[in-house]
Amino acid sequence: MNPISSNAAPSRTAIARAVVEAVTEILPAVPAAEVTGHRHLKELGADSVDRVEIILMLLDRLGVELPLSSFADLPNLDSVIDLLHEEGGAR
Amino acid sequence: MTPVGIEAVNVYAGTARISVPALFAGRGLDPARLGNLMMDNRSVALPCEDPVTNAVNAARPLLERLTPEQVARIEVLVTSTESGIDYSKSVSSYVHGYLGLSRACRLVEVKQACYAATAALQLGLGYLASGVSPGGKVLLIATDVTLVDEEAEYAEPAMGTGAVAVLLSDEPRVLTVDPGAFGLHCYDVLDSARPGPTFDIADSDRSLFAYLDCLSNSFRDYRARVEGADFATTFDYLAMHTPFAGMVRAGHRKMMREFARTQPAGVDEDFNRRLAPALVYPRQTGNLCSGSVYLGLASLIDNAPIEDGARVGLYSYGSGCSAEFFSGVVDTESKRAVAEMRIGAHLEARAELSFEQYCELAAENRTCLVPERDRRIDPERHLAVLEGYGHTRDLLVFTGTKDYRRTYEWITAGPRRPAAEPENGRGMT
Repeated sequence: MNPISSNAAPSRTAIARAVVEAVTEILPAVPAAEVTGHRHLKELGADSVDRVEIILMLLDRLGVELPLSSFADLPNLDSVIDLLHEEGGAR
Repeated sequence: MTPVGIEAVNVYAGTARISVPALFAGRGLDPARLGNLMMDNRSVALPCEDPVTNAVNAARPLLERLTPEQVARIEVLVTSTESGIDYSKSVSSYVHGYLGLSRACRLVEVKQACYAATAALQLGLGYLASGVSPGGKVLLIATDVTLVDEEAEYAEPAMGTGAVAVLLSDEPRVLTVDPGAFGLHCYDVLDSARPGPTFDIADSDRSLFAYLDCLSNSFRDYRARVEGADFATTFDYLAMHTPFAGMVRAGHRKMMREFARTQPAGVDEDFNRRLAPALVYPRQTGNLCSGSVYLGLASLIDNAPIEDGARVGLYSYGSGCSAEFFSGVVDTESKRAVAEMRIGAHLEARAELSFEQYCELAAENRTCLVPERDRRIDPERHLAVLEGYGHTRDLLVFTGTKDYRRTYEWITAGPRRPAAEPENGRGMT
């Protein structure tokens, strides 16, 4: 399920793909095409528990360690991807 | 060191409730979200109730089971509340009088959102274990009211009202707290708060994320202090602060991922076995603030097949934020001690309200902390609800203020209420 190697920093494209996978896995009713960078998880119908599940799934699959609080103020999925990319690259 | 811990615990969660699906329907909330909320009912206060009455109504049945000599050994009365009634005068000062406690007692109030009761519990246990007053007791009462309305959206069905009374002593029938076994995590954040007496503010993501980060970090600190501690195997059961039951389930999943690397199927089994019993009562009341984790503990003891020497991990979190993971041991005596208080029967006895009744009460309830020099509240207006409560018992009710002094009186609630006082000319039906 997780194509990303643990010893290489995932590319931004790979992270974006992981975001789409995680969102559609937790929110099966949302078509993958609707999971675009300018949208917020709330707009896609994720409640607070769904949002936690999606972020934890991403951290787990990408092997990134970050406090959940880092995600509290992010305006959209692009900024989620940016944060994961910066942290993933910094490992 | 003398073993210390919780000798007795009791809960008061109002005389009325509304079902969460009914509140969802009334507010037009999306029923698809009920699954992640995991709440069944929420307690509803009456306008003649406040943090003082909740505290007294929780503690009095507990004290009635003690001898006068035992009651006289209560040397500290702590109220833990984010529903203060005055900047200076504590809730405990009113509560002390209505409970008839000894005047040789310390009165104090603590505040740190939903965490404060645990700070008071640990400080109280430290006092008891120090040996400076052998046989002394500390009565800790976590008491709150909710102010949320429809603007809180999905938080409204999750907020409860009521109090949890916890008696601490060197006769820990309910929970013997593991000495020195604790983990802490705190930092400054504005995730939710009550800036004034009529409203709360909350950022749901910030609060949920802080709760979950603090859960991991406080357990890490616990593990650093307690050699060999393992989240998956050290604790037979868990009880956590419950803003809503779905959040506790999310916290458990996070912990099992981080500290046990358990597959999802195993996580669900573990949740149902170790944590679900602690959610039975919280799912019926809503969030009782700093009493919530102790409501969860009572729920666990009443609803889990506890055998001798079961270890419980407890997690307390309060916005702002401060959190603690600690532990203790329960046994069959714990089951006897909690069962005596018939907490489940009390919750079951609450009168069920319609959405319209709820709205009317909720609007008036939001004024209960507003300082007014003179005010009259007539408990008789709420006789229908009070009589709909399934048990006959005495309740303290809030009757208003006179030159800023809050006034209270005792009434009898329940179906077999004595005939109406003839002088007011009003019947009971």
